[in-house]
Amino acid sequence: MNAIPCLTIDDVATLDGVLGEFLKKAEAELTVVIDRGGNVISQFGDMTVMDVTIIAALAAGSFAATKELARRIGEVEFNALYHQGNGNHIFMNSVDDDSIMITVFGRRTTVGLVRFYSASTAQSVATLLQGLSREGHGFSFDASDITAAPVFAE
Amino acid sequence: MSIINYASREIQFKIVYYGPALCGKTTNLGYIHQRINPQNRGDLVSLATAADRTLFFDFLPLNAVVIKGFVTKFQLYTVPGQVIYNATRQLVLRSVDGVVFVADSQWEKMEENVESFKNLEDNLAKQNISLDEIPYVLQYNKRDLENVAPVNYLEYVLNNRKKRVQSFEVVSSTGQNVFASLNAVSQILLHKFSKQSDVPKIAPAPVAIPEEVPALQRQGATV
Repeated sequence: MNAIPCLTIDDVATLDGVLGEFLKKAEAELTVVIDRGGNVISQFGDMTVMDVTIIAALAAGSFAATKELARRIGEVEFNALYHQGNGNHIFMNSVDDDSIMITVFGRRTTVGLVRFYSASTAQSVATLLQGLSREGHGFSFDASDITAAPVFAE
Repeated sequence: MSIINYASREIQFKIVYYGPALCGKTTNLGYIHQRINPQNRGDLVSLATAADRTLFFDFLPLNAVVIKGFVTKFQLYTVPGQVIYNATRQLVLRSVDGVVFVADSQWEKMEENVESFKNLEDNLAKQNISLDEIPYVLQYNKRDLENVAPVNYLEYVLNNRKKRVQSFEVVSSTGQNVFASLNAVSQILLHKFSKQSDVPKIAPAPVAIPEEVPALQRQGATV
């Protein structure tokens, strides 16, 4: 049996608290914590802004794609990336070796403010995620809970 | 690696379509996107060149209710098949939960199929994952073409490992067995995480050694 890494209701509440506080201070619209494979770990803010799943997949790709560029100038990777738009922008920063934090923000704030508060938030999130892996949360379900019907139908 | 969010009762799985260049990986995702209920899918994101060759990856998020009480999110990715993009393939394979290996059935593509399959094993090994641990199925695509190798030959070349897996004769352009192979890998994946771990057994038939063995096989080009 293989257990799936699990975020309990308490874990999610704690993460939401940290991310909510960050959004309030940085005056950003949305923040998403993802793993480097593109899976969403936690999200907080205005979800109607975009399809978070797609943003997570693309952000993980974007972050990894710049790794070689970083190596060329003697860095292991870039700790943060900023994509500037006309009205909406994305700021991404590394949380730890396995996860990234993405922040979407608009005209209400500045990249400096987002960058400033995201550094301490990333540290708090990293500590939380390390705690989860130490505690070894895992979840598995009964085979009888899985539908016998085809998962996807045309 | 998949992750479960107990607060939103969501589980996420990542399935990667892997195979040589121009074998039909993107066509698979295109067909699924076109035919599945729009309520159960997001947009198909394709990062392709002007010539429609996959540059980075294609991505299609799907939702399903397959585990009692949970929304299950499947994220389908393709890798760029061209040999030079190995770093991108390694990136896309990160945190993978299941694989659909798409082989091109045409005789002249056999060497590329074998090379790509070995590349898959190598790239998984770099993440300390053995192919035997990962749920995967095989697609023998382009069965509608004339110059295709017989299925028993493809089985001999690609499905002759100690652990044999389900394989499907596929025509991704018309959708033949596209959903069947996706459903198969999804079921194996779901049962991998169940407490009983009893994957529904659909035992593949034994591999018969083809009577006419072309030059490629004589050179030992099996995996």
